Amino acid sequence: MSLHRAQHARVLLAGVLTFAVVTAGCSLAPTTPSGAQGPAGAQNAAQGEVLIGVMGPLTGDNAEYGKIWRRGFDLALEEINAAGGVQGRPLNYVFEDTQSDPKQTPAVAQKFVSDPRIVAVIGDFSSPASMAASPIFQRAGLVQLGITNSHPDFTKTGDYIWSNSGSQEDDAPFLATLAVEDLGKKRLAVLHMNTDWGQTSADLFIAKAESLGAEIVLREAYLLTEKDFRPVLTKARDANPDALILISYYNDGALIAQQIDDVGLDVTVVAIGSTYSPQFIALGGEAVEGVYTATRFHPADPRPEAQEFVRKYREKYGVEPDNFVAVAYDGIKILAAVLNEVGVDRKALRDGLEKAENLQTVMYGTTAFGEDRRLRNPRYLRLVVRNGAFEIWEP
Amino acid sequence: MLDQLINGLVVGNLYALTAVGITQIYGVANVINFAHGSIYMVGAFVGWMAVTWFGLPLLPTLGLVLAASALLGLLVERVAIRPYTGSGRTVLLLTTIAAGLILEQAAQLIWGPETKAFHAPIADVRFRVGGGFIGTLDLVILAVGLTTALVLWLFLKRSRLGWAVRATAQDREAALQMGVDVHQVSRISFAMAGALAGVSGLLVGLYYHSVYHTMGFSASLKGFTAALLGGLGNIPGAILGAYLLGTAESLAVAWLGSTWRDLVGIALLLGVLLFRPGGLFAATRALLPEPTVGTFIPIGRPLRIPRWALLAAAAAALVLPLVVRNGYWLQVLATAWIFGLLAISLNLITGTAGQISLGHAGFLALGAYASAILTTRLQLPFLLALVVSPLIAAAIGVVICYPALRLRGQYLAVATIGLGQGIALVALNWTSLTRGALGISNIAPPTLFGVEIASAAGFYWLTLLLLIGGVWVAERLSGSYLGRAFRAVREDEVAARAFGVGLERYKSIAFGLSAFIAAFAGVLLAHSYTYIAPDTFTHALSLQVLTMVVLGGLDSTMGAVVGALALIAIPESARFLAEYRFLVYGLLLLAMLRFRPRGLLSAAS
Amino acid sequence: MKVLSVRNLTKRFGGLDAVKSVSLEVGPGETVAIIGPNGAGKTTLFQLITGAERPDGGEVYLDGERIDGLPAHVIAAKGVARTFQNGRVYGNLTVLENVLLGAHSRLQAEFGRPAGPVSGALGAIREVVTALSRPARLRRLEAELVEEAMEILSLFGDRLLPRLHQPAYSLSYANRRRTELARALALRPKILLLDEPTAGMNPTETEEMTELIRRLQARGHAILLIEHKLDLVSAVAHWVVALEAGQVLVEGTPETVWADRRLVEAYVGRTGGGAPKGGTARDGDSGAAGGRHLLRTGAGAF
Repeated sequence: MSLHRAQHARVLLAGVLTFAVVTAGCSLAPTTPSGAQGPAGAQNAAQGEVLIGVMGPLTGDNAEYGKIWRRGFDLALEEINAAGGVQGRPLNYVFEDTQSDPKQTPAVAQKFVSDPRIVAVIGDFSSPASMAASPIFQRAGLVQLGITNSHPDFTKTGDYIWSNSGSQEDDAPFLATLAVEDLGKKRLAVLHMNTDWGQTSADLFIAKAESLGAEIVLREAYLLTEKDFRPVLTKARDANPDALILISYYNDGALIAQQIDDVGLDVTVVAIGSTYSPQFIALGGEAVEGVYTATRFHPADPRPEAQEFVRKYREKYGVEPDNFVAVAYDGIKILAAVLNEVGVDRKALRDGLEKAENLQTVMYGTTAFGEDRRLRNPRYLRLVVRNGAFEIWEP
Repeated sequence: MLDQLINGLVVGNLYALTAVGITQIYGVANVINFAHGSIYMVGAFVGWMAVTWFGLPLLPTLGLVLAASALLGLLVERVAIRPYTGSGRTVLLLTTIAAGLILEQAAQLIWGPETKAFHAPIADVRFRVGGGFIGTLDLVILAVGLTTALVLWLFLKRSRLGWAVRATAQDREAALQMGVDVHQVSRISFAMAGALAGVSGLLVGLYYHSVYHTMGFSASLKGFTAALLGGLGNIPGAILGAYLLGTAESLAVAWLGSTWRDLVGIALLLGVLLFRPGGLFAATRALLPEPTVGTFIPIGRPLRIPRWALLAAAAAALVLPLVVRNGYWLQVLATAWIFGLLAISLNLITGTAGQISLGHAGFLALGAYASAILTTRLQLPFLLALVVSPLIAAAIGVVICYPALRLRGQYLAVATIGLGQGIALVALNWTSLTRGALGISNIAPPTLFGVEIASAAGFYWLTLLLLIGGVWVAERLSGSYLGRAFRAVREDEVAARAFGVGLERYKSIAFGLSAFIAAFAGVLLAHSYTYIAPDTFTHALSLQVLTMVVLGGLDSTMGAVVGALALIAIPESARFLAEYRFLVYGLLLLAMLRFRPRGLLSAAS
Repeated sequence: MKVLSVRNLTKRFGGLDAVKSVSLEVGPGETVAIIGPNGAGKTTLFQLITGAERPDGGEVYLDGERIDGLPAHVIAAKGVARTFQNGRVYGNLTVLENVLLGAHSRLQAEFGRPAGPVSGALGAIREVVTALSRPARLRRLEAELVEEAMEILSLFGDRLLPRLHQPAYSLSYANRRRTELARALALRPKILLLDEPTAGMNPTETEEMTELIRRLQARGHAILLIEHKLDLVSAVAHWVVALEAGQVLVEGTPETVWADRRLVEAYVGRTGGGAPKGGTARDGDSGAAGGRHLLRTGAGAF
């Protein structure tokens, strides 16, 4: 059957369009870096900038975390470059928006892998997104540092996959110690987010708490998007606990805190460290007074490097930093330190991370990576919310 | 138990606010407005801005939000509805989705992505009820909800304008003949619905002390469920439906666990659609009346692409990796091919058989999980999993879709949303099978005859070959008498039935085939990501695939492929736009639907 | 053996008796016309016979086989074809595709067995496999069907053949009705149910359709016809059944029926108000004269 000319033209048009899109994309240079050093173009490669690829959410549900990360990165970069950069070269980062979507991270991973200027990658925010890309990094031999990936399987993909994020294996048991030993609570109602992080943290918490002699009177998982906690809090109330344990982020943590009174539940609340954020107090208001938590980082931490960090952050942004900022800051600093030591090379970086001793971090103090490619010896500070602020608390 | 009932009423109170607005607009305008949730969200932000930046007290804030949201409703009507009336309902679904996307992105750009704390400028007095408390805000919301419902009801039943609105809803043409200004009616309906949405958003934001830019979707889905329970267009029914939904959810949480809340909501949604589509309070169980005339929604004749062109395109695609060494682009194209398969499978049911599906991510999930479980638990080799998973997915797909096949148009669309979400929720809760939220990790990469397909080029070829296979199958079916039967179902179910085309049978076949092909995409996805979790398969993905199909032209296999290519490749090449990317994408979609609604690959009418 | 036999068919909608104990028969080669004012239950009767609605009482027999209660598509496959009151063609499909779809049940019978509720799954898989593999048998049958379609379309002179590949929505109203009829014929029906085939047509088109119906009769088709144009009915019907308020009012040969006073009253009203043009039907003045006058003047006025 022969085509009319108009139809013929349309087929051609569609074909040309497709072809154009594909070839245009193929010939596009990798995107411009977007770090604190300002708009840099391809010409910077000649100047010898050292680039770190960052994949994370700039749009979508988790966009606020991407924004927080950037602040941490930018602050770190200022310091690093003021001190001479990496092996005398300026350090910068390229942030690709993935919306923390596992469908988008493999492509971005390929992009970073193919870009010879990129010597390491930070990201992604969520574990599914990060892990979808890990095989690509591992195969290509490019270090992936997951700064917020506490999924137990994350670093297991291969020896190029590293993480400075807390491991649930440390955070959760410490919280149990806080609740049971320090606060003397014996009947615990556990509320946790139904994500990989929430599940494993809850499991670890409960194991430790029970080994310390506490009884778990309730364990409830809730969806990330849940808003109405009255029914589950009513259940908790009816189980007669003496403490409510929250394995939550600050958004849902604040929500839960606000609804506790509404159901007539009046107990101590102990929340895991990801609630530690100025947002928790801003969102929760009076309802979060008296909430206990533990964190690896707090502005009142007397260590000089922590104080420096807090001071500079406050100066630059006018608010207190939180966990998410601290890991971002630490992440870049760790990479910079090791690169500076071993040279700007992908494989050398990997080996360097393995061998590095005495890494200076805000969250862990002086530390090193363990065999599982996570940082060792987390230190914790106990906190309680008083008068609209987190204060350090000693038992 | 009493306390849980009260909890149910408390949350139902919130749903009622949204439900009333939704039932009015959908009952009247007969169109699903996906921008409703976004107006709800913007209304909340406007209110937040008024209170936090300008320190306004509650009443002026309420007034401001009412006005702003009404304007937004008018804007959506003008931009996303009016230019597209007559283009068919599928197009309207998409234009409102695009409008919602734009609003959401714009809000994020204006106010930033973080959740904002929102504290009420009203005194909070608490009253003890049962074992718990309710506060002034609960009462305020109740009062507002009842008042708006009453006002709306009076307006529709007693005022001239209200009569005009109802007349237009019954029969737009007839109303036009009678001298009703149907455009004005449309504007008023959307303005009112917008105002209600914005006020709901404001009050719910106050209630939970926070506003955030994704607050609209879940709220509108719950509101829609409540409205359906009460019967679309039935205002008192919407309120009762909302309380019922809230109570059912609270009891589900109390008895089964918190993660069951949404499943119960979806079960109610599907239940009412299947057994009582007119709502619980409807007099009859009858399904909606059939249109008296066969509906001629111009789908456009899909372009007949000559064999030589198809072969040339396939050859070019196969040769590409030898010419283009860029791993990044090969990865992007491989993703495009996977989505091409998905789009082809959706095109079969939506384009060819005319069944609107907004839950296609569910079919993808079936295939991905089937393969992941088969390879990680049962240690089956990749090739075997590749062959078996689609069979499993097709069987399950047909079984769960079968009850919904009686539904049509927007009711079917909503049912498919429910099914898509339902599959993800089942994956989340059936932890012994799927590891729930933890997901399935360490899925082996594809292996063919002992060779691991690990390189970008290798994966590209694998996906391309499967895509070519999918295109062949789809085209073959499309040109066969089976394809013709599908089209008969699409064009006129009444006539089709009268001429021996059994509706359940052929719709089942279409859905089964669709699940089968989509499963291949799922398998590829699982083995390339090596990690899948329930939240990999989101509602947004379903919408993305539907957009690809519409873009390329409904009922056009190659159109689906081109649509997939365009929607995967263009955002990638537009990465430099970063934060503006999806805003531009939404605008592009609107423009596309305006100037070429039949898609890229269809002949002009 | 009657082709179609309807016995005491009843259908209620809410409190209303749409069809009440209606019986009729259509013998081989016979044309039976159903007439009556709007709302008399004529189309509902069609719905019941074709299975689009389930009867509340009574039976329907096709060639001696009981078919009431069966799903509509099964009844269609057994040989009951219909056209619709407002014309329902497949708008986006071509004339040829519309006609071919009339024969769908024959393709399914050949390649899609079994067809039961559960065993149908096997039949469905067979259909898919057949559609993909396109065996010679399928191609042959399809070629035959296309030939048949052309033959049917040639019955309509040059009305439809030149428009073979045009989408149905682009056709004129009259051509759409013709396409509908062609589709019905493609089913190779045992009985044709035509619901107001000339509704909305002008006198010339009506004449053409009348001629066509005669040709179908000549080919031996059994036809059940709903019509308002009594001229047409007189011209083609062997038997007339007049319905009013869901019940059979009067039946017989056209002449008998026109002469019946009750019919005139049903159309015109007992008080004689609403006189047709020429105004001779008045109080008490009915009978054959009034009836025949009705015939001459009342063309589609109902």
